[in-house]
Amino acid sequence: MKLFVKIFLWYLVAVAMMFGVMVFVTRTFQTEPAFSRWQRSARNQMAFYSATAEQIQAVGGDDALRTFLARLNENGTIRDVLVLQNDGTVLYGDPNFVGDFENVVAVARTTGETDIEVNGTDPALGATSLHFADGRPAMLAIRWEPPRTPSFFFDSWVGYMRLAALLLTAVIVCFALAWYLTSPLGKLRDATRRLAGGDLGARVARRVGRRRDEFADLAKDFDNMASRIESLIDSQQILTRDISHELRSPLARMNVALELAKKRSTPESTPLLERIENESNRLNEMISRILTLSRLESGTEDFSKTRLDLADLVRDIAADAEFEASGKGKSVVADAIDECSVKGNENLLRSAIDNVVRNAVRYTADATKVSVSLIKDNGHAILKVKDHGGGVPQNELENLFRPFYRVGEARERKTGGTGLGLAIAQRAVAVHGGEITAENVDGGLEVKIVLNTTSRNGN
Amino acid sequence: MNRILIIDDDEELTELVSEYLGAEGFDTVAVHSGVEGLDKAKHGNYDLAVLDVMLPGMNGFEVLRNLRESSSLPVLMLTARGDDNERIVGLEIGADDYLPKPFNPRELLARLRAILRRVDGSIHDDLPERISVDDVDLITAARSVTVGGEPVALTSLEFDLLAALLNEAGKTVRKEDLSENVLERKLSPYDRSLDMHISNLRKKLGLRADGTERIKTIRSAGYIYTVV
Repeated sequence: MKLFVKIFLWYLVAVAMMFGVMVFVTRTFQTEPAFSRWQRSARNQMAFYSATAEQIQAVGGDDALRTFLARLNENGTIRDVLVLQNDGTVLYGDPNFVGDFENVVAVARTTGETDIEVNGTDPALGATSLHFADGRPAMLAIRWEPPRTPSFFFDSWVGYMRLAALLLTAVIVCFALAWYLTSPLGKLRDATRRLAGGDLGARVARRVGRRRDEFADLAKDFDNMASRIESLIDSQQILTRDISHELRSPLARMNVALELAKKRSTPESTPLLERIENESNRLNEMISRILTLSRLESGTEDFSKTRLDLADLVRDIAADAEFEASGKGKSVVADAIDECSVKGNENLLRSAIDNVVRNAVRYTADATKVSVSLIKDNGHAILKVKDHGGGVPQNELENLFRPFYRVGEARERKTGGTGLGLAIAQRAVAVHGGEITAENVDGGLEVKIVLNTTSRNGN
Repeated sequence: MNRILIIDDDEELTELVSEYLGAEGFDTVAVHSGVEGLDKAKHGNYDLAVLDVMLPGMNGFEVLRNLRESSSLPVLMLTARGDDNERIVGLEIGADDYLPKPFNPRELLARLRAILRRVDGSIHDDLPERISVDDVDLITAARSVTVGGEPVALTSLEFDLLAALLNEAGKTVRKEDLSENVLERKLSPYDRSLDMHISNLRKKLGLRADGTERIKTIRSAGYIYTVV
């Protein structure tokens, strides 16, 4: 799961739990005491009201009592007031409510004490005995508005709105926090990938912004590392190029001196001088290839690309290779060549394909053939070159395209390669946005080059 | 005896090349800087110059560019091996041929001889004395070309290419034949020099009065001097 989602969810869960705990604690430790406080106060109210009612009745008679009770009824927390005489007549209040109070009145009457009856969220009922001055026994009954518990949410739509607002805020804050924590990671990852992909100029500090935390430090460290790698690789490439350039001067002198020596040579020394010439040519070829490779790898050079007929190019190369292979008892067969054209640099593509085909000719067993095919498929040109040379160990396939990599020591040297042909081919194909792969196909190596084709009208 | 001017800052190399060419019957003079080389090329009486691209101070391209302002002395450029741009630039400026360095001295000798033979006009034995196709008039012996009566300065190689194309005007001349007959070497896949020389030739001749191109490229076949 993505780190962003993880952080987001964890924070959201944390906030939700905190909220839940808060509600639970509030309910447990505040609702109950508040409730019993209310009960106590209701009891006190009952005692106070009954005492007051008794005094008023004693002084002003029933009418004054009714006036008092009516005023009491106006109190916001009290819904109904009822005074029942023990003979069953209602002294004050709505007779319809008598039934509602039956229970609580009976309890208060038998115990002789004030009784408060609370039933969930129903209005609370209370009853107590009245002792009028004239000796008439009666009961005062009060129905309160439901006791107010400190319920914050689930009691109305306002409560739900409040809950939703709280959750929304939590979500937004969690989202922002998760983004704040993970966004520099995404940028770092992107830069790391680009660096690994060969873009040595990939930097991240400026993209992370003006933070001053561990992420900013990490970004700076990454940039330092990238700069260091870039300069190391650059200097290594420059060194390779310079060495190769510098090697040419002595080589040029050697070539001329060798030619002079050959003119004066004795029959015994001639074969040796020719051997020296061969080696010098090989050295020369190798230097050229190293330089080609370093130009391809530097990625700074803009190779001019034109639309070119790939089928023609492949046929051409195959014909040349066939000519050379026939001298060694091998052959090159261009089986299926589809007509297609690509946009590319002719020299580069020619040398790429040429290197692959020559490589195949070099390794294919005597008296076998190298098959070359070019298939046009859905906007791609797929070139396959297959030899019968026993293939390459599976775990070495990827290494084939590394410069100077040799499958089995000294094998390639004997067969006359420089160890750079496939490396150059790979870089040249990459410059064209294509791909080169190798695999073992029934007793031989098959190298596949995939390039994008151009449409007929040349785009 | 042909006099060859070698302009290269590698003194040891020029010594060896001088010795080698001397044994082959050439009279060589070596200079080691571009400025000196340009001066000698302009005023000395040489048949050919071998010019290295990498020279301290004034580089080979600058020397050639300056030289071409006043002289059509045949020039063979020594370019860095594996650098396409160098040889294309060299041919564009007006080098007659190029040879990547390090070179095989036998190859150098063959190229020098080819250029010199061309300058002598000895390869034109089979050409008519004078070829006229629309407004282009070419006189073989005088090695002169006029377009609409105006003389056009061509290098010896461009002259030979034009002569070969005009001689077969209206027909396609294969690249392979042009390479073998004019450059005196087999056409190799990476060799763009023929294209460069043709491109220079087109520029110098200009378009026809009706705005059409005189020399057309026939893809993967050759060139044709079109006839109206």
